[in-house]
Amino acid sequence: MSADKLLKQLQDSILKYDSAAAVSAAKAAINAKVDPLQAIEKGLVPAIEQVGEKFERMEVYLPELMLAGDAMKSALDLLLPLVPKGQKTSKATVVIGTVQGDVHEIGKNIVSSLLMAGGFDVVDLGVNVKTSVFVDEAKSKGAKVIGASALMSSTIGSQKDIVDYLRASGERRKRAFLVGGGPTTQDWAKEIGADGWGKDAVSAVRLATKFAKGR
Amino acid sequence: MVQILDVMRKALEGKPMSETDYQLRLFAGKVAEKVKEYDIKFDPATPIPDDPSLADDVFKAAFDLVVDVGAYCTNTNRVISYTEKEVRNALQFAPSELWFGEGMDRKLMRTRGVGDKSPPWCLLGAGGGACSSDRSFLTLVEGYAEIPETDAITTPALTRVGGMRIRPASPLEVLGAQRNAVLFREACNRVGRQGIPVMNTLSTAESDIALAGALHPKYGLRQSDGYMICCMDPMKVDFARLNKVTAVLGIGGAIGMCFGPMMGGYAGGPEGTTVSNVAHHMMGVLTYQSSWLLPFPLHLRYVSSSCRELLWLISVTGQAVSRNTHLLTVNLNYTSAGPCTPMCLNETTASVTAAVTSGMHIESLGVASNKQEDRTTPVEPRVSAQVGHAVAGMSLADANELVLRLVPGYEKRLADPPLGKTLYDCWDPEARRPSKEYMRVIREYKRKMSGLGVPLREDDWG
Repeated sequence: MSADKLLKQLQDSILKYDSAAAVSAAKAAINAKVDPLQAIEKGLVPAIEQVGEKFERMEVYLPELMLAGDAMKSALDLLLPLVPKGQKTSKATVVIGTVQGDVHEIGKNIVSSLLMAGGFDVVDLGVNVKTSVFVDEAKSKGAKVIGASALMSSTIGSQKDIVDYLRASGERRKRAFLVGGGPTTQDWAKEIGADGWGKDAVSAVRLATKFAKGR
Repeated sequence: MVQILDVMRKALEGKPMSETDYQLRLFAGKVAEKVKEYDIKFDPATPIPDDPSLADDVFKAAFDLVVDVGAYCTNTNRVISYTEKEVRNALQFAPSELWFGEGMDRKLMRTRGVGDKSPPWCLLGAGGGACSSDRSFLTLVEGYAEIPETDAITTPALTRVGGMRIRPASPLEVLGAQRNAVLFREACNRVGRQGIPVMNTLSTAESDIALAGALHPKYGLRQSDGYMICCMDPMKVDFARLNKVTAVLGIGGAIGMCFGPMMGGYAGGPEGTTVSNVAHHMMGVLTYQSSWLLPFPLHLRYVSSSCRELLWLISVTGQAVSRNTHLLTVNLNYTSAGPCTPMCLNETTASVTAAVTSGMHIESLGVASNKQEDRTTPVEPRVSAQVGHAVAGMSLADANELVLRLVPGYEKRLADPPLGKTLYDCWDPEARRPSKEYMRVIREYKRKMSGLGVPLREDDWG
């Protein structure tokens, strides 16, 4: 099969939100000696970008966005280890999660999926994430950006705790800290000393891009 | 009938499944399947449809959905399944009326029907919106208690205790929840309406321990208040929420499960989210042992409920539930715009009209997406209640015509709405009335409503 056809298979698997198809397309590309970086950049990325754009226009919804993200992850798990060291495959690593005491996930999941669609390596910590885990994971994964979501007025205080913990552990200057979620505002981000506030998922991706190389 | 021990048994012994598989594959897949099977279609030209077969199809789709997907326990990672018979029994044994409040303020909430002439239950206030201080909390709740139509109050949420920002499941949250209860009674006492129930008990208590910590009678909570427990979207529950359920059942309180399916979220577009919204009613009676329901569907982008899709969703939900059950359902609406703007009043008018004419009660409201501290006043729920009383008995066709006169005036601004003014910029807490500027906005709005054939009650402040 030609490289173009294999790239098309990779694209189709994402556009059909099909993890199993993504795995078999990635395996086929590897067996056919397609450059893994090319497989990612010309196969997977344009497709996930397309899904992200459709989501923005509300032509598809959250399940499609997340399933496309899952399919992308499945293929990346096979392709990324084959990319030679030194070749760039993502804009940056972002560690993201919903803060301690808060189990709301929809906003965080949308941002996580759109970050992936935007070319970021995303470490999604899930919900009800301990303050120290955000910082420890960012350190161990070399993430320049930490994103923390909170949906309740009673839980946004945990966002402040992350900034304070970053400062106290000498990590603040190394990493950008972004906040988002229902009751958060620009004023709140400023008050706690965050680097930015994502009004919505698109602005969150914009901010992550701005801070991809650090603060 | 399914009771709390049955729920626990099912949560411990149900089919194991990952959370991702439940919500993305099982739930989302089944919702899409039901929408297709029952051929449910949203029509933007008819935000309040008069189509009984549509409502009945949505109900059937939602019933099937509950039987197919049940609920999901995030602690045990198991599906809590219900049989068709269990769902039917739960609907049969759910109350069709409930008493809330004490003394002169003790009132009966009854089930409503489509086009019902009886006024809706008016649960008025901030819908858990954030407030910056005890002073703001008291100012707002006093204002809500003075609204003649107020049947019950939905308080704001405190964000600080002792100068510190509240942290979840910490002593600060427990103290905040206790203070929430105490200040609520104090505010009602100050304006002479001691018996009004609080029905979002307790907005400041997100965690189970904070609610439990405030339940002692010395903080002022009563069995006759309404106890709100928020569901995790979609159809999910955890032990913390079931702890709340068990604690409230223990004091004989009436639980109202609140749930906010996002249009554009796990259930997809307006059709799927409507099916999900109706299904959550049934799941709430079963899993959360809910005796009344509190849906607050929102648009994923606008974080409000006044666009055409959401009006349709609210109306079809109300029609589906009231035509096929006797459940007590109270719709909470959010506006995009803020206080002292005509847009905010027009938005709440449209949402309240959709709910009330379709058989629902109202909780009004979250203002300016309920995002910012102190960006709400007693005016917006007051106007919402006046609308609720005015449109009770209106036909669906007339209601549709009314909202079609309102929606075009604001729908293009939903993505970037005017946020208006903050509490103290447009409400005088000493005079207990709006600022002159806000009075002008209200008068102009009421003139417009009269012109549309819906005259609203005059306020005492002229």
